[in-house]
Amino acid sequence: MITVKNLHHHFELGKKGEKSTLSVLRDITFQVKEKEIVAIKGRSGSGKSTLLHLISGFIRPVQGEIWIDGTKVTDLNETDFAAFRLQHVGFIFQNFQLIPSMTAHQNVELPLILDGTPQEKRKTIVGETLRKVGLENHGEHYPSELSGGQQQRVSIARALVLNPPLILADEPTGSLDSETEEHLLELIQQLNKEMGITFLIITHDDQVAHIGNRTIEIADGLLVEGGVTHEI
Amino acid sequence: MKFKDQFQFVRQNMKKNKVRVFMTMLATAIGCAFLIVLASVGFGLHDSLIQDTMQDRAVTEIQVHGKEVDGAYQTLQDEDIEYFESISGVKAVTRNKQLQQSPVFSIDDDYQLQTMAMTTDFPSELKAGLELSKGKLPEKDNEIIVGHDFASNLAESNISDEELYNDENQVKEEYQYDGKLLGKEIEMKVIQIEDNEEKTHTIPLTITGITEAPNREWFQDQNVYISESVLEEVEQFTGTSRGMVSTPGQEDMSSGQQQEDYYDQVTIYAKNIEVVQEISDLLESKDYASYSVVSEMEQINMMFTIVKAGLIIVGTIAVLIASIGIYNTMTMAVTERAPDIGIMKAIGAKPKTIKRIFVLESSMIGLAGAVIGTAIAYIVSMAVNFALPLILESVFQEELPPELRFSMIPWTLVLIAVGICLIVTVLSGLRPAKRATQIDVLKAMRREV
Repeated sequence: MITVKNLHHHFELGKKGEKSTLSVLRDITFQVKEKEIVAIKGRSGSGKSTLLHLISGFIRPVQGEIWIDGTKVTDLNETDFAAFRLQHVGFIFQNFQLIPSMTAHQNVELPLILDGTPQEKRKTIVGETLRKVGLENHGEHYPSELSGGQQQRVSIARALVLNPPLILADEPTGSLDSETEEHLLELIQQLNKEMGITFLIITHDDQVAHIGNRTIEIADGLLVEGGVTHEI
Repeated sequence: MKFKDQFQFVRQNMKKNKVRVFMTMLATAIGCAFLIVLASVGFGLHDSLIQDTMQDRAVTEIQVHGKEVDGAYQTLQDEDIEYFESISGVKAVTRNKQLQQSPVFSIDDDYQLQTMAMTTDFPSELKAGLELSKGKLPEKDNEIIVGHDFASNLAESNISDEELYNDENQVKEEYQYDGKLLGKEIEMKVIQIEDNEEKTHTIPLTITGITEAPNREWFQDQNVYISESVLEEVEQFTGTSRGMVSTPGQEDMSSGQQQEDYYDQVTIYAKNIEVVQEISDLLESKDYASYSVVSEMEQINMMFTIVKAGLIIVGTIAVLIASIGIYNTMTMAVTERAPDIGIMKAIGAKPKTIKRIFVLESSMIGLAGAVIGTAIAYIVSMAVNFALPLILESVFQEELPPELRFSMIPWTLVLIAVGICLIVTVLSGLRPAKRATQIDVLKAMRREV
């Protein structure tokens, strides 16, 4: 599903004339198979979030290749990458990243609108997706009217609504209490089993990492490959 | 993303900042209304002038004054008339021979009027559209028709001029002839001077018809239309061409022209306005001196096109000023919505889609402003047309021509104004829209934009 080959990345720091570079990722190579849940673990500043942003296409790598679902995404331009993301990748963010002026229904509907799905079909699909995450009765609520766990479920529903084969999750439980975190992790496992969705989860939390089939550890920009924790 | 969804999306966004969006629309509306009202003055005055020109003379009319032969102008004769009638697109050719003295016409010995008399070719006049207000066309040689204002100028003969005319130099009503004119016998008295003695000759005539009133209120038609045989009788009496009164030494000068039959006034009527210029060009190529209202209108149109273009350019400045407001509103909208834009880009919105949404929003503000502005312009235009003549008449104590319109808004002006508004607003929304596409996803999601 995901292949990362010899990935290097650095950030440029300082003003013009006094620039320096900060290397964040060095020679990262790994693979994620279909239907796997892979956790990328590391301490704060280890480069794990940068790795996710590179895979997402939010930033471009200095060197190396990334392949997702058979497509070399590092060769795609901004427009093609956007189209690719819409069809192939769902996102779950730490701060949910819901649009506050839209209801839960409208937030989940957004990828369908961008995809050009007809309005009459959208209502059914959104209703069905909200039901999957247990929010069928909260469609008309605005994010501010929902709890953190409910907001994250809306975020998951938005990631699921176009049936992508891959979901990238950046600290999905970072803003949740331990009980809600547990429910959410169960939901991720359930979606993985029932729908066969591949999850790549960035976390510093051992409990989150524990649900993965495999954990990849990053330290100071270098990859420390972990073993399989559960059989697929 | 479908257009309908983009439209929905923009509508929702606009609702979030109703006051700001409304104020921007209002600024655009005022700019657009200013443009339309300003240019409408040019359109209104142009239209008034065209109507005025068209009322003076029929638009399909071409007056032919003569033919240039070896650098000198020759009068028009029957062969010229035949040629004019043979030109394709010509409906009729009317021609007059004018009496070279103003005979005195008297009725019942008590009422008289000294006025012009001329012959005319009635069949061609009928083809050209001559209509009688009363009576019928002459059938006999001694029958005539008179102009519409002949009766009102036919006054009692024994009244002095000071007493006869009112302040507007018209015959007072009490001295006007109030009897029937049709079928009435009238005497035409012509003079000639022989051996320093004035001799008179009276010809009895019968009125069979009265022409329609002229187009213009201030124009009077008191002419008398006589037959060729009456003209011949006058010429026999005076011994000169067209009954010219001889002064000593002039008898021989007119004798040369007496042999040739010529027309004083020849008018060609075209079948429609489209062929007028074509006929005029043909006449010019054949060395005829002609004049048509179309050539005058071409100059008027040219001048007013320049005036209107100038006014539209000046008006566009107001729209440009309003566009600064749109630029400002859109820039604020992009800044405020940066986190939302970031989320949309993250989940897969193409930069083109983001750009289109913001351009659509500025276009909608521009279009709504243009529609409101057009409505305001129509109201202002109606108010100006109603109030300005009243103000001017009360200030200058002078009546304005009834066809004068200060402001006119044709649909072409509305289209031009709406088009300018749309172009200007789309252009002013382009830069903020481009900025929206360049928003960094990560910074936007961290609320750092």
